[in-house]
Amino acid sequence: MKRTVIPSLAALLAVAFAWRQAGGQQPAPGSQPRALLDQYCITCHNEKLKTGGLELDKLDLDQVGAHAETWEKVVRKVRAGVMPPAAARRPDRKALDAFATTVEGALDHAAAANPNPGRTPLHRMNRGEYANAIRDLLGLEVDPATLLPADDSSNGFDNIADVLGISPALLERYVSAAAKISRLAVGDPDTAPTDVTYTIKGDLSQTETIDDLPLGTRGGAMIRHNFPLDGEYLIKLSLLKLSFGQVFGQSAEGQELEVTLNGERVKLYQLEAVPYFFMRESPGAPAPEQPLTDPLAERVKMSPNIHLEFRMNVKAGPETIGVDFLQNGHAAVEDLVRRPMSSTHDPNVGMQYGYTTAPHLARVDITGPYNATGPGDTPSRRRIFVCHPGAPSEEIPCARQIISNLVRRAFRRAPVDGDLEALLSFYQQERTSTGRFEAGIEMALRRILADPEFVFRFEPSPAAAPPNTPYRISDTELASRLSFFLWSSIPDDELLNLAIQNKLHEPAVLERQTRRMLEDPRSHALATNFAGQWLYLRDLKSANPDSREFPDFDDNLRQAFQRETEMLFESILREDRSVLDLLDADYTFVNERLAKHYGIPNIYGPDFRRVPAQSDARRGLLGQGSMLLVTSNANRTSPVQRGKWILENLLGSPPPLPPPNVPPLKENSSGVAGASVRERMEEHRANPVCAGCHKIMDPIGLALENFDGVGEWRTMDSGFNIDASGQLVDGTKVDGPSSLRKALLNRPEAFVGTMTEKLLMYGVGRETKYYDMPVVRSVMRDSARDRYRFSELILGIVKSAPFQMRVKEAPSKEDNSRKAE
Amino acid sequence: MTFITKRHLPRRTFLRGMGVSLALPLLDSMVPAQTPLGKTAALPKSRFCGIYVPHGATMDKWTPAQVGSGFELSESLKPLEKLRDRVCVVSNLAHPAAGGVGSDAGADHARSAAVFLSGAHPEKGSVHAGMTLDQILAEHIGQDTPLPSIELAIEEVGLNCGSGYGCAYFNTISWRTPTLPLPMENSPQVVFERLFGDGSNSAQRLSRKKQDRSILDSVSDKVARLQGELDPSDRVRLGEYLDDIREIERRIQKAEAQSAHELNIPEAPVGIPEAFEDHIKLMFDLQVLAYRAEITRISTLMYARDTSGATYPNSGVRDGFHGASHHSNARARMDTFALINKYHVQMLAYFLDKLLATPDGDGNLLDHSVVLYGSSMSNGNQHDHDPLPIVVAGGASGQLKGGRHLAFPAHTPMSNLMLALLDKLGVHQGSFGDSTSKLEI
Repeated sequence: MKRTVIPSLAALLAVAFAWRQAGGQQPAPGSQPRALLDQYCITCHNEKLKTGGLELDKLDLDQVGAHAETWEKVVRKVRAGVMPPAAARRPDRKALDAFATTVEGALDHAAAANPNPGRTPLHRMNRGEYANAIRDLLGLEVDPATLLPADDSSNGFDNIADVLGISPALLERYVSAAAKISRLAVGDPDTAPTDVTYTIKGDLSQTETIDDLPLGTRGGAMIRHNFPLDGEYLIKLSLLKLSFGQVFGQSAEGQELEVTLNGERVKLYQLEAVPYFFMRESPGAPAPEQPLTDPLAERVKMSPNIHLEFRMNVKAGPETIGVDFLQNGHAAVEDLVRRPMSSTHDPNVGMQYGYTTAPHLARVDITGPYNATGPGDTPSRRRIFVCHPGAPSEEIPCARQIISNLVRRAFRRAPVDGDLEALLSFYQQERTSTGRFEAGIEMALRRILADPEFVFRFEPSPAAAPPNTPYRISDTELASRLSFFLWSSIPDDELLNLAIQNKLHEPAVLERQTRRMLEDPRSHALATNFAGQWLYLRDLKSANPDSREFPDFDDNLRQAFQRETEMLFESILREDRSVLDLLDADYTFVNERLAKHYGIPNIYGPDFRRVPAQSDARRGLLGQGSMLLVTSNANRTSPVQRGKWILENLLGSPPPLPPPNVPPLKENSSGVAGASVRERMEEHRANPVCAGCHKIMDPIGLALENFDGVGEWRTMDSGFNIDASGQLVDGTKVDGPSSLRKALLNRPEAFVGTMTEKLLMYGVGRETKYYDMPVVRSVMRDSARDRYRFSELILGIVKSAPFQMRVKEAPSKEDNSRKAE
Repeated sequence: MTFITKRHLPRRTFLRGMGVSLALPLLDSMVPAQTPLGKTAALPKSRFCGIYVPHGATMDKWTPAQVGSGFELSESLKPLEKLRDRVCVVSNLAHPAAGGVGSDAGADHARSAAVFLSGAHPEKGSVHAGMTLDQILAEHIGQDTPLPSIELAIEEVGLNCGSGYGCAYFNTISWRTPTLPLPMENSPQVVFERLFGDGSNSAQRLSRKKQDRSILDSVSDKVARLQGELDPSDRVRLGEYLDDIREIERRIQKAEAQSAHELNIPEAPVGIPEAFEDHIKLMFDLQVLAYRAEITRISTLMYARDTSGATYPNSGVRDGFHGASHHSNARARMDTFALINKYHVQMLAYFLDKLLATPDGDGNLLDHSVVLYGSSMSNGNQHDHDPLPIVVAGGASGQLKGGRHLAFPAHTPMSNLMLALLDKLGVHQGSFGDSTSKLEI
């Protein structure tokens, strides 16, 4: 195997050269690293005190490469502005930056001479990747949560090879998933009826139109369901009920509940009102019942034992079922009490006088197939059956073609004879015992999906590569790394073909492919998986603000928060903008619900659209509900959590954990309620044990105090005026979201460096180590030339040594002794 | 846009199905046929359940005032009143392995779950704790059932565990080896399928199991071939995979042998109930079902993950679980936290009641079980690990007498209790975790 110098090595060398040149010039006074260390650092970090386990007096600055791990730690602390500590004597920012730059230059230089691309252990697909792979391999959309257990994550990401362990229970699930998926994909005629239930979140308000459902409707749900066979299915709807069993909104007049299949109405329930006990019957004789004009219509009373169930014929494959209420009246409702925006915030209000409520959908059950007539024509069958044997003699060649086609995509490499023989025997056995060609194919597919080459990402070391030495991975391995990075899925044909032809590693080809993949809709995975985990968007679904404190909060808003941040991230990806726009974008994305929450006028309807940021304070991530909500407690903001979140995720400088046995905060003598959050925090910081870190975290979080626990703007909190002013650890004064954002943008390297490091970790699927930092810096520096364009960051990582290379392990003792035999 | 991801059927539906099977004289006809070993063994095989609750408890509302058999149940343990003579409250135990030093000192939440049943200190930066009590038992008394053990949770796995400790330490209390955490399952539907298999009738289940076996055979051949091309550490990883394959093949054989005595299987539950109480009761029901049908004898269950902000409206407390545990040692807030502790014990009582009501051999399931319930923390506000709130329930097939409050000398390692429980369950070893001796219980 040839060792190739890859672009980033050249870049590293160039940087190292630049550093040498810089070193040749007259350094600014005070930037002499040794002098600075001696003056400000070794008072604590010396051989005797060993504060933080550091003995900087012993380390040779001319040999930083020998202690790269320690020096990386040092520059990280200095860059983050947390060292020297605030209480100690410290040089000015310029001198500290110069010091950090010098040490980083030396580290980069040492790394260029001796690069370490690291080594990602044998990598198992996580369950999200598995579902995407099934989608791309078979054209079948499955819900991974029902097939595989959740994966452990490490450093905030669930695609880190180290912790993607294996256990019997897990393997059992992969084997059973293989069986279920192949049955569904081929359309096994023996499929027994099963019940799939879709539950609507209890706090989803159904007073307005839901996105994707037709205008003129309110509430309900849009469901994509895989119907396994052509046949009859039972659809059952359940309405939201009060705790005593009555239908929520039972007294509402003129309610109609509609079910659609791929947009066509298939059922209409005319729901008859049932007055509450405290309501008077309408005066006069009841109006005579009108005959039903719509043949699909049925009248049902909203009594506690209401039963909404019907059968219909459906074709196999993924179909869309819509359930919604017709919006029959828009007359303003005048209630005695202002209703919160969350229509279900207390379902029992439906029973109270003075509140108007309307029925809500709670659940949809789909059971079937009954009286199945065949596998039908589904995307997955079209994908699998690339040929159809006309005569028995054509069966084997056709099976071979089908299997070979599947193996290529599933194993992400060119199929070999050995693969096919084993799989054909599975095909043959089942073909013989059932007498059905398709049953044989189903069995072979089941075997492919259970194969370790599908479930794991194999990167075997070439026998010829010397141990402990970096080598370039093969083109097919590179193709998989690329597709799992950008798409969280397997390579497509174009990428795989280039890899099989050994062209992918060519820099121009690689760059073209990377850009093509970023433009492909599948790169949406970067928004859901990378940004979703980096920015804690996945935590939103478990965020449950106290409904008494925030009565307007509902699932509609929760979903809107997530959508807004995903769309901001995706706009940066799609328009190839600067990643700094994540912090600074002067636009955002809202629908009616979110616009109401932010106070943006004239936005109607459930769909999202791009709008100018409502105010300077709302610009970028710091003004978005998603971040503000996940960093809050259920009933109030938490400046500590917000400060910590920013330090950890935007500045790459996570604060240490609180020490054990922290003496409890003294109950405020005037009672907690008598003090503002800031006052309580001040007391917090008066404790010397806590102050060290809280001095760093708290001012950041307090600068965002104008945003309440669900991200709504406020100027008062519990009767106190909000005071958002403070001083960051580096001395910068801030007084609110705008100045905090400007302070972050003032030092873009901290943010871009952190994002780069997170992207690298996500991209190579392993924890980043000190030896990765030169790569992070180089990617960041290169992208700085083009104002940190998103694609530059991605390309920088794709071209880097950790992404393209690997270190072969030394053989174990056991291997050596085997060789000796 | 509405994303519908949670699929669930209310517990009622499942129980309705279960009711059908309960009405039949299932147990008397089943147990003898299914446990040929049970007939010959001197002792009936006991069941074991380890239940973990994070964040500790308000100890002065937990620990009974009197010691010995004449004790009065404390406020938080009141829900166990009717089960009093089946329960031992064990006081003054400690889990020093959950503590930390230096910069790790604060990461108590990251370590607590992994220590609960292992008594081993989790290492930072790698995945390394200790083999847990349930897994030792699974090796000894779980081998002649189709599943050696099942691992259950209520909450989804955590995403942001922080502290430099892997999420594995947060997400499970069961470790098959010091480096192999076992994932815990929170979907009742999935648990059900693991217990009973995939298919609509016994013939279909059996034929699918046979196919699984032939697939696994062929996969293990391939794994053996692939291993040769890998680096040593990856080869070890894949070797574990091979072990797993053999383990599953063994299970399938067991299940095949058992399928002659096909159970009247209740209707499968679908998805995950939204309310904690529905969810945990369903998980308890499934364990009772699994014990009764001898599908497994060993189970573990996690009420919540450490730092969980779950709320329990039925406890009467509005605060999140973790937030409530940081009560600043203020009396009123400690009392509030105790209400959550009490509510959690009420759920335990539901499980014990069910075990008691289920006939098993010459008695009931509770007679033949050990249920270990508690936390690795004491005062959640300070993150200390001493003294722990611990309850042991069940008769261990005549080996354990209930109705007692056992108070040991202060700082007694919890591992000493676990060593004693191993003994009661027929596994005799010299030490366990950080044990110093075996408790006399």
